[in-house]
Parts: sequence; structure tokens; C-alpha cells
Amino acid sequence: MKRTGKGMACMWYPIGFTVMANPSAATVKVNTDGTATLLTGTVETGQGALTVLGQIAAETLGIATDDVHVVSGDTDTTPMDTGAIASRTTYVTGNAIVRAAEAARQLLFEAAAPLLNVKPDQLEARDKKIQVLGFPSRFLPISQVAHHAETNVGKPAIGSSSYNPPTVEMDPETGQGKPFNTYVYATQIAEVEVDDETGEVVVKRIVAVHDCGQPINPMLVEGQIQGGISMGVGYALQEEILFDDQGKQINPNLTNYIMPTSLDMPELDVQLVDNYDPTGPHGAKGVGEPTAVPTAAAIMNAIYDAVGVRITTLPATAEKVMAAILEKNAQEA
Amino acid sequence: MATKPTQDLDQKTIVIEDTESALNAPVRVKEAHPIIYPLSLPETEERKATPAVGQSASRPDARLHGLGQTKYIDDIKFPNMIYAKVLRSEKAHAKIISIDTSEAEAMPGVYATLTGKEIPTNTFGPTFQDQPVLSDTVVRHRGDGVAAVAAVSEQVAQEALKKIKVVYEDLPVLLDPEEALKDEVLIHPPKSNIYTSKVIKKGDVEKGLAESDHIFTNRYKTQFQEHVPIEPHASIALWDGNGRVTLWSSLGRITLGREDMSRTLNLPQSKIRMIGTIVGGNFGGKNEITNEPILALLSKKTGRPVKCTYTREDEFVSSTIRHPFIMDFTTGVNKEGKILARKIKMILDGGAYCSWTGTTIGKGSILAAGPYNIDNLQVESYAVYTNKTTTGAMRGFGAPQVCFAYESQMDEIAKTLGIDPLEIRLRNAFREGSLSPTSQTLHSVVVEESLLQAAEAFGWNRS
Repeated sequence: MKRTGKGMACMWYPIGFTVMANPSAATVKVNTDGTATLLTGTVETGQGALTVLGQIAAETLGIATDDVHVVSGDTDTTPMDTGAIASRTTYVTGNAIVRAAEAARQLLFEAAAPLLNVKPDQLEARDKKIQVLGFPSRFLPISQVAHHAETNVGKPAIGSSSYNPPTVEMDPETGQGKPFNTYVYATQIAEVEVDDETGEVVVKRIVAVHDCGQPINPMLVEGQIQGGISMGVGYALQEEILFDDQGKQINPNLTNYIMPTSLDMPELDVQLVDNYDPTGPHGAKGVGEPTAVPTAAAIMNAIYDAVGVRITTLPATAEKVMAAILEKNAQEA
Repeated sequence: MATKPTQDLDQKTIVIEDTESALNAPVRVKEAHPIIYPLSLPETEERKATPAVGQSASRPDARLHGLGQTKYIDDIKFPNMIYAKVLRSEKAHAKIISIDTSEAEAMPGVYATLTGKEIPTNTFGPTFQDQPVLSDTVVRHRGDGVAAVAAVSEQVAQEALKKIKVVYEDLPVLLDPEEALKDEVLIHPPKSNIYTSKVIKKGDVEKGLAESDHIFTNRYKTQFQEHVPIEPHASIALWDGNGRVTLWSSLGRITLGREDMSRTLNLPQSKIRMIGTIVGGNFGGKNEITNEPILALLSKKTGRPVKCTYTREDEFVSSTIRHPFIMDFTTGVNKEGKILARKIKMILDGGAYCSWTGTTIGKGSILAAGPYNIDNLQVESYAVYTNKTTTGAMRGFGAPQVCFAYESQMDEIAKTLGIDPLEIRLRNAFREGSLSPTSQTLHSVVVEESLLQAAEAFGWNRS
């Protein structure tokens, strides 16, 4: 008989390296037509990082995502970056980009101030314009300012900067310290169907509510969460590298190492918690890794709710769940 | 700059003859299969809107993926390029007595071979440099490379591997991490198998347990997991006439990758260019160099560009995988379900080399108590070497393992005390300003909000 159950799991997860310095640097160049080029040493690994980083630069310069071209991943041309690891790209590289874009923007403010008869600190960059704070009708197009800065003033609007999260070393005896600058939080709730005659578990539905601070690109955040859940479902139910008694992997191929496909994916309801981290770039934190963290735990709790067996060794294969059900039945008989 | 067509017309795909005008080029397709490639799609509103933050802007790279224009390393070819393969160990733990590559080198189509003795600094690793690029004295797991071949094709390189003769002398194979704690068999002598550990202590755990109304003790275990990126590890090395080497690599962190290259090749960083290509999935598995020094040296030997793309089996056996954890959780609570004390002991199966274990044990230990206010806490974790595949960085760095433990036990506690799982979590959850297990004051904390929002969306009826 198929029995349904529900289970929840919440989690916390840090952004960036543990104590260790993990800086990123960035260079932002504003072109004379009002577009910009961003140089970053990170690499696009499929998560959409370059789009998000471009959006961060665009936000600081008051221009659109499409106005920013991102150059990445070349040690000859791009500044150092600790890389696409530790859910750090949006937060750490993003903070470096905000600072680099602010430096470039400052050159635009200095070039525009005499033209608008104000001081540089009375200016803001919004909607592709450099405008007077409180008097948005007094403005110059950013393209005109960038051109003026480069051609007449002789100071092209190029900014470079870096960021490294502030941490405090952990005491070697007690571990007390500040290993990370910020953390994200999340809850996932799973609904499963367990066949109590075969042990097969089908994940029917997962509600995932994640915190990433201010989402820079909500669509890409949702994509990350969906992908993380898929990895979590595999971790919960199927995926396991097995070794023989001489240390040889038994299943080093995708025929015998079973991972979820789209057909195994449950119905998903992905939501974000309203949040803003003042230490992040435009309020953002990160989202890459934490999406995969609570899924297996939520599924194990749902299996327990469905059939009353507690799986304490991952993954919860049908064989393992069935053995646990039989043991439970034997104890109750 | 003219380039050769990369794909044939008969394969019903685009032929690009001129990379400069590729994007605007008239696309020739076989008439029988008239496919219109929308190369001049208008940009979406989200990409054109200000402010930029908060916009669900589409990805420029996604469009190239959709059009098949993304160039992964396997798509990149250079004139006179040759292909490398690496011979993996037949043993999980053995001394290498000899490696004879002469027969392989004599094969038609083979340009060069390489062994560990030819690598200027034959060690690497992000935390400790305990891993050889190619093993030359000892193999410590079946994924260790012992020799490499560069040949005219992957097939010839693969055939040549069979001609390499390696003589091993067996060493005892250590697979069980709990057994490894005893140090009876050493994998990196004279070092202990326990190569890193972490302790976190807050409050007085014994006192907290003594004051508890209920104590729960459970053991949880997790498995090895592979990242399975759709694009396996791949790289191309080209050593030029000025002694400068360029690497196109699927590595996710090129700045530190170049440092590792500089160290292993004993070459100044200014002589190394590392290009991170679009990566077809990383998930933590592409955060350290693998074949890159081998390819660089094979390119230096042959004067040709050398490519290596891992097979799926290479990916499983020789790249890093997720750490299995053995986790003992002892938790004391009062009648209301408030956690008074938690004592945790964890053993991480570190595999044959350290890789990113330092980070995994650190994050795992810090996070192990869960997003809960616990005044009395003790976490002790040990990572041990075994003769199994190296465990390293993988999405979550220990967090999925410990979350499975702390959240499973949370439900055990809730069940015993007759408290709803949502309720017990709310009673213990971090709030703004809570102190973490390392006594860090937490900000922008939304555990409670995420719990309530998820419960609402799910339709969770409190029991």
C-alpha cells in the first residue's frame, strides 16, 4: 500500500571561505556610449554568475543589465578571483564589483559636477543618467558624461577594487571566532509516497523557501534552487558510489550509479524569504550550495511520517526502506 | 581570422567560416533541413530595464547554449593537436617498483609519455600538497595516475596505455574510516591517518546534558556522492616558442589554478596563461588542478597542443567526490523541547588525499548543531585517510551530511515529546542577534520566517 508522509528540514549555511582570506577583485570600465565592460577573474560554471555580476555592476552605474558586457576567466586580462566556490561569487565578487563600479562612477560624478554646477557628492547615477540628487530634471545622459570624462577631462571612468569578507580566526581549542561574514537560511518541506510492500519512495512535492538576501536575479535564484533540490533528491534516495573489498569502485558509470532525471523530480514550489543583507552587494548574499542542503533531511523525515521507519544511513534505497519496514513489522508482531 | 569549419554540413549544423562576423554571418544550412537560427532576437524587457537588480534578466550564455554556439573544451580544436590519456593505478595501495613506458612510446601515433619523475614539483593540493600529479613511488587509491600518453588520437592513446608496464608491491589496503583512526596501517607515513580535526566548544556540555529531561543519542551515516557534471574535466595545454604555456581549462578558479601550475611546473606565473572556459557544471569538483600540469609537460615535449577530456569513469574514480560522514549526536532537551546541550562526534572519510577536507570539516563542524540556539555545545570531528577515492569540495562542504543528522534527530525529539516538528524548530531557531556555535553574532537571520512561510505554502497542519 502506498502511504504518504510529510517532513521538514531547515538549515543555515555560510557564504565564502572559513576564516581564510578569499578575495575577489574587479575592474569596471564605462564606455563613451554609456555602456560598460566588467572584468572578473571568476568563471561561469553554469549557474548564471556572469549575468548576476553584470547586473550588480549595472545597478551601481544606474544602467541596464544589457548595457554591461562581462569579460571573465583569463589570467592575462582579468583580475584575481578566488573562484566559483563556497557560494561566494554573488557576495564576494559582487562586493568587489560594487566597489569598482563606485570608483568608476565617482569619476563620472567629478566630470559631470562642473557641467551641472553642483558638487560631485550631490549626484547620483540612475536610469542611464547622472542626475542631481533631489532634482532629477537636472541631469546629463551617462554616455555624454563618460565621453566628456574621457575626451575633455582626460580621466576615463575606469574603476578597480577588491573585497575580502572580514573574519576572526577561530580559537584552536574552542573554535570560538567569526569564520564567515554572513549566512543564509532555508526551510524545505517534502511530501513523499512510500510503497510499504516494495520500499520504493517517490517524492511528490517539495516546498523550498530560501533566503539569499536581496535576489539580484529571481529567475536564476529559482533555477539554482531547483538544481540543488535535484541533487538533494539523488543524495536522499539513489546516489552512492560503492567499493569492493580491494578499494575498486563498483559503479563508476551512469548505468549503475543512478541519479535523478527530470522524471524523478517532484512538483516544486520555490519561494524566497524577503530579506536584505546590508553587508552584501545591493543586499544580496548567495544561494548556490545551500539549495542542496536540507532536501535529504526533509525526505527522511517524510519517510518516517509515512511508514514510521527512521533511515539513519543515506541513501534511502527501496531495499533499505523495505528492510526497515520488515524489521519494524517483526518487532510489532 | 579564418578558421576551419568546426562541423560538417552533413551534420545539419551551422558552418562558421569567419569567427569575426560569426554572429551576423549568413547561416548556411542544408536545404533539406531549413533551420532558422534567431541570431538577432530582440533583448527582453528585463535586460533593458533599470534598476538592474531584481530583474529576471535572461543570460547571454544561455542563448549561445541554445544555439549550440557555446564552445566547451571538447569543441575546441587547434592545428596539430594531440590527445592525452592517463593510466590509473591497478591497486588501491601499493609501492611502485618500476614503470616502463618504452613499448608505449614505440607505438605508431604515440608522440610522448610522461611519468611523475619528470614533473618538477610532483605534488599539489589546496590545503596540504599531499597529492602527486602522477604517482611515482606509492599509489594510495585506484584513481591515482601513474603515467600519461600523448598520441594522435584518443584511441591510440588509450591503446598505448595498455603497453605501459607498472610493477607494484602490494601494501595493506585500508578502507574503513573507523579502522583508519587506529593508525595500524599508515597511508602517508610517518603522518597519522587523522590528518585534520576540528573542535568547537561553547558553554558546558556535560552540565547541560545533566540538566536535561531527555537525552537522545543517535548515529547517522552518509555515503560517497559524485558531482556528475555533464561536462567532464577537460583541458588543453599549448606550450609556445617563448616558453609560455596557455591552458584552456574547465577549472572553476583560474587565479589559484595558475599558482598551482606555477608551483608544479616550477615556472613563473607570468609565463602561464590560464583561460577558464564556459564550464558545463562544477558543483565543487572542478576546484583544483587535475591533468593540467601533465598536459603542459606533454605539450612542452612535443611542441603541440595537447588535449585531455576525462571519460565518465575517469570522472568517478580520479576526480574528487563527497565525504561520507559518521555522526554521533547526543542531545539533551527539557520537557518543552528546548535543546539544552548537544555533543557531536564526527568521522569524515577523507579518501587518499586531503583535497578540500579542511574546508569540509570546518564547515561541517560549525554547522553541525543546526540553526538553533544551543548554549552548551561540543563538536569534535576527525578526518582520516583511506585507500579510496579522494573526497573534496562538493556543493555544501559537509552541510548536507550534518543537516541530515540534526534534522533527523530534531524529528526524533519532537516525536518523543509529542511536539509538532514545526513547533519544536520554532522554539529553538536562531533569531536576529543569536550567537552561533562559534559565538558570532548573527545578522539578517530568517530561520523562523522561512519555517513559517514554507509551512504556509505547504499547508502544514500542526499536530
